[in-house]
Amino acid sequence: MTSKSKILIIPFIIFVLVIILFYYLLLIERNPSELPSALINKKIPTFNSESLFKSKIFISTEEFTNETILVNFFSSWCKPCRDEHEFIKKISQNNKIKIIGINYKDDSKKAIKWLNELGNPYTSIAVDKNGKIAIDWGVYGIPETFIVSSKKIIKYRHVGPIDKNITRKINSIISEIEYEK
Amino acid sequence: MKNKYIFLIKVFFITIFFYFQTLNLIYSTEPDEILNNIEHEERARKISMNVRCLVCQNQSIDDSSAPLAKDLRILIRDKISEGYTDKQIYDFLSDRYGDFIFLKPPFKLSTLGLWFLPFIFLLLGIYIIYLHNKRSKKVKY
Repeated sequence: MTSKSKILIIPFIIFVLVIILFYYLLLIERNPSELPSALINKKIPTFNSESLFKSKIFISTEEFTNETILVNFFSSWCKPCRDEHEFIKKISQNNKIKIIGINYKDDSKKAIKWLNELGNPYTSIAVDKNGKIAIDWGVYGIPETFIVSSKKIIKYRHVGPIDKNITRKINSIISEIEYEK
Repeated sequence: MKNKYIFLIKVFFITIFFYFQTLNLIYSTEPDEILNNIEHEERARKISMNVRCLVCQNQSIDDSSAPLAKDLRILIRDKISEGYTDKQIYDFLSDRYGDFIFLKPPFKLSTLGLWFLPFIFLLLGIYIIYLHNKRSKKVKY
């Protein structure tokens, strides 16, 4: 082989590598519309708002105590939120975690009715009437769920409804965080 | 016959010209969102055109009618009225949603490949064609 034909083989190798890369991305399980999270390993945004059940104001610096917390954005109009609800109830049985709900752009009366019907796994619920809290958390489509460590750092984020696999993942992350403590 | 051809080509380009003129008129900003201050409104529209709608993902929030796009348009206008600079608004958005929120990827170390690889491949291609031509000239038929 001459040195020139050796150079000509380079594009072919690059082409094969690109094909392998594309094929790999096709085969692995991933959701291409899911976005990278800018807030992972960052401190949680603080906010004040109404509480859903209690008549006092929801002050995030008071509600986010020094324990592992699951934050769940939900709404009564959102069908996937209904689907994931039983899994959130299951997670709430884990006594290592406290669950805070954020009721996104909802009618409070409907939200209360919804929770009375399906059960309420949340320790407390903040009301996000205009979606401003959600924007601060980088939320772009509910349901979205975050795990916050006792140091108030976001450790994990899941976009979309929680299912069996995600429940398992969440539980393992919680025990990991507990172990690190 | 030839004249007819030229006429059709003219019509084609004029249509394209007006098509691009109307592009600027198509946007989703609703009347109640628009700021009274024209200068502020223009800034808001310029920013909105660069910001990706995270629901539709291939549209700017300027031409998306998704509720989140509306929220972000209002947020940008609120920030402008509060006296934020354009850079502060862009930083505010990327802090929460990452660089993906910009339709144009920002120019930084991790995106260098994205910006320069096409040119490198172009040069590589030109070099390969050059080599190929040089070699084929030497071949005697």
